[in-house]
Amino acid sequence: MSSSFSPMLDGLTRQRGVRAALVASEQDGIVVDSSLQIGQSGDRVAALAASLYRKARLSSRAAHLGAVSFMQLEAPNGRLCAVGAGSLVLIVVAQSAANIGLIRVEMLRAAAEIPTLAGGGFA
Amino acid sequence: MADDVSRLSDELARDPASLAFVPLGEALRRRGQLDLALRVAVRGLERHPHLAEGHDLLARVAADRGELQRAFDEWDMVLRLSAGHAGALRGMGFVCFQQGRLEEAEQYLAAAGAANPADEGIVKALTNVRAARHHEPPAAQPPEAPDAVEGGSAPLDDTTAHDARDVPVHQAPSQPVPAHDAQYLFTDVLEEGDQTALLLDRDGLVLGGAYFDHAGNDVAQEVGAELSGVTDAARRATRHLALGDWTSIVFETEVAVVAMAPSSDDGLLVLATSRATPLGLVRRLLDRCAQHAVRWLGERAA
Repeated sequence: MSSSFSPMLDGLTRQRGVRAALVASEQDGIVVDSSLQIGQSGDRVAALAASLYRKARLSSRAAHLGAVSFMQLEAPNGRLCAVGAGSLVLIVVAQSAANIGLIRVEMLRAAAEIPTLAGGGFA
Repeated sequence: MADDVSRLSDELARDPASLAFVPLGEALRRRGQLDLALRVAVRGLERHPHLAEGHDLLARVAADRGELQRAFDEWDMVLRLSAGHAGALRGMGFVCFQQGRLEEAEQYLAAAGAANPADEGIVKALTNVRAARHHEPPAAQPPEAPDAVEGGSAPLDDTTAHDARDVPVHQAPSQPVPAHDAQYLFTDVLEEGDQTALLLDRDGLVLGGAYFDHAGNDVAQEVGAELSGVTDAARRATRHLALGDWTSIVFETEVAVVAMAPSSDDGLLVLATSRATPLGLVRRLLDRCAQHAVRWLGERAA
């Protein structure tokens, strides 16, 4: 079943090295839509990534640093990236060899579309 | 005084490495702008962590804010940097008196008097403390903070005026790990005033370093509380995705780049820099802070 987010997520997963792209609720990590190239649970990825992003956002608020635009977790075999959009968070899992600069730009561009795609329901 | 503040602010703006932060902070303190004075002192000490006058300024600001233990710790640092500093000895005497540690207060004030015999304020304070210790009339008045006595010494000036050779070697009360040592954990590693770093334990409690917001307030505990559990969440995420052990988390905000790395015992190292800092430099700074933290934790464990 496709949602209004599907084309955006499919576009992200077509980027070289991207293994998964998801939109989830920041508050509880529940998946709104996903495009997975990997045979694993998107639910858990979304929950963990949303939790990390929420902690980053709250710590930024505590330090009066303003809104968080882009977050990435780095590990030897890949990266977990997140961009907030209202109450939603856009998540990408990428291989370590992926062009993170390009992915970052595409994620920020996609996140800007999320309020429109969500129809105001999540933003 | 307003002119002084303006002039010194301009001087500091032209040259952020200038020592003008000391008289500027003092001027602000005297005007009662304690938050601003604190910010100026802390920022200055980030660049000049071994400047006795800077720590003396911070101590006086802390005393005015009612943060007596912090003031004591800062004056203790002044004595390490400038043995026999009369202003520091007198300030520590003031703190000890306020905390009811009369014997120590007498020792500090006696040492301060020896360092600066011409300071009548110290003599008067010492008399009062001795009266209080021995329950002698008249009722003792607390020694005043270092700069509050009429005709008293200006501690900043004292730094150069006193002769340390005339003063007995001062021994501060036993403090295995002074709090301020931990707070300045990363000052030697960080390169610019807009960088701040913090070391947290697995529960998000502050082990060392500081985290200053744009107003100069140390929000380390608040940030630590919000970041509690990051290490565990990152580990679970990378394990689930078979990415290997996580090495860093970087997030960008409107005004800063914040980078985090795992530390010993599930701890977390947090580094914040301005958005203008290149990401490659952020990573290098994070690595250097991590190495510094490992050494520091090792020394504490030894």
